[in-house]
Amino acid sequence: MTPTLRGRAVVVGAALALTLAGCGGGEEAPATSANSSGLEKTTIKVGVLPIPDPVSVYIANAKGFFKEEGLTVEPEIITGGAAAIPKIKNRELDISQTNYVSTFAAVAQGEKIKLVADMYQAGPNTFNIMVPKDSPIKTVAQLKGKTILVNNLNNVAQLAVETQLKVAGLTKDDVKFAEKPFPEMGNAINSGQAEAGWITEPFITANQSAFGFTKLADTMTGQTENLPIAGWMATDEWVQKYPKTLAAFQRAISKAQELASSDRKEIEKMIPTYTKIDAKTASVITLGTFPSELNVDRLQKVADLMAEYKYLSNPIDVSSVIVPAPTSG
Amino acid sequence: MNRARLTRGVIGAAGFLVAGEVFIRFVMSEDLLFPAPSAVFLEAVRLPADPDFVAGSLTTIANWGLGLLIAVAVAVPLGVLLGAVPPMERAVRPLVEFLRPIPSVAIIPLAILLIPSDQWMKVSVIVFASLWPILINTLYGMHDVDPLAKDSLRTFGFGELAVLRRVSLPNAAPFVATGVRIAAGIALVLAVSAELVAGGADGLGVYVVVAGSANRMDLIMAATVWAGVFGVLANIALLAGERRLFRWHALRTGAARS
Repeated sequence: MTPTLRGRAVVVGAALALTLAGCGGGEEAPATSANSSGLEKTTIKVGVLPIPDPVSVYIANAKGFFKEEGLTVEPEIITGGAAAIPKIKNRELDISQTNYVSTFAAVAQGEKIKLVADMYQAGPNTFNIMVPKDSPIKTVAQLKGKTILVNNLNNVAQLAVETQLKVAGLTKDDVKFAEKPFPEMGNAINSGQAEAGWITEPFITANQSAFGFTKLADTMTGQTENLPIAGWMATDEWVQKYPKTLAAFQRAISKAQELASSDRKEIEKMIPTYTKIDAKTASVITLGTFPSELNVDRLQKVADLMAEYKYLSNPIDVSSVIVPAPTSG
Repeated sequence: MNRARLTRGVIGAAGFLVAGEVFIRFVMSEDLLFPAPSAVFLEAVRLPADPDFVAGSLTTIANWGLGLLIAVAVAVPLGVLLGAVPPMERAVRPLVEFLRPIPSVAIIPLAILLIPSDQWMKVSVIVFASLWPILINTLYGMHDVDPLAKDSLRTFGFGELAVLRRVSLPNAAPFVATGVRIAAGIALVLAVSAELVAGGADGLGVYVVVAGSANRMDLIMAATVWAGVFGVLANIALLAGERRLFRWHALRTGAARS
């Protein structure tokens, strides 16, 4: 969290405390009466990854969209969508970033989680299979028998690669997948640990400029074109308990997503404030899109792909997993 | 530490860094990317100007200190009690020997699930990890008491409590201090590891997670250097405290040679 954000949180917290003290009614003055919007909860903690995807939460904070709703949102760094599930379950976090594949897999295992807002959708060249400069591998079919690095096994990375293998007439059994964090993929491939890697930004740009890596395939084409990648999740219990807070969050996020979609400069301006990606890199990396509404049909595509490639043993009806924003006006 | 030793130490460290620099710049394949010591050093010097890093370091140090204090508050009385009452020690020892070897990092996911407060989750794993060296060293100190000294006191009609206070505790104190010093190193490892695994609002480990997501290996290494500096400073401070408090012990055991 930036000092200004923290400062703001402290100011808002102090103001809230003063307001409450001013009410003086003791138990008759619950926190909800302290704000005009009638929210059940005015300060929420949201889990985010330090990557471009959750930019709208920072835009909404900077532009005062949350404030307009009477909401204070404190972002907290998480280490992955799956790692955030225990944190929303034990209420350390109210809402968290997640990737849809992790969420649907968790829901299939019985986790009581709802998707509450969309965040990030793949665009062309946002998730590529990359090979080193002088690689003899020129087509996806030539990956047969080779090792491909993914950031997480059995997740969106592997699923996306499998859709491309299918086009080339291969299945996952024809290649080897190995797990490696994005920052280490370049060195690992160059030292011969693997022949290719599934890489996203800013690592696509970094590996291109440092090592001359080239794109073997864009994994977000064909079946995966415009694949929804990341969204916001909360537990069923949280959604039921804080409907107004959720609606306020959804409205502000949706507004920020619209702004992000309409003006890339807003994204570029914000990324260096919460990641260590500098302004120059932020201006050249390839970004996906930032949908402003949670769309059942688009998300169903992810669940259907997961069922097709056996990431789910039973199909999931996505409409039962999402809590769309209340229609305004 | 005398001047010659210090000089040799500095030469050793500098030689290592120069060798690393030469290796990374001239020997390592150009197809591999790793920041050279000079680049890491430059970033390490710049880090104190980064508010995220400063806030993160303070959070980590606070958790580290708090965890260590709680561990001392729990392990020392427990160690004294177990050391003073042998049947109790025999009853508890198997449990201790079972829990002690569990790699503390492995309990982090369990702690995330069980403890709803991020800070207390981190402090708890720090406490768990630092408990054992302090407890074991305290027990060791309690066992190491010269029986002749105890018997002498008893002969002069002192009660068990007086024996504990006048002989056992002073004898165990230097061992406790060593245990705390060992625990301090382990506690720092856990303070950072918990952040690496769990994330959080800020922290040294959180800073490393953020730097990693932006492909900034130089920042990761620079933050790691600072973690090392914090560890060394804590060790020096605790060692100095031990020397001052237990000068008699160092003289007795001949440890003064260092």
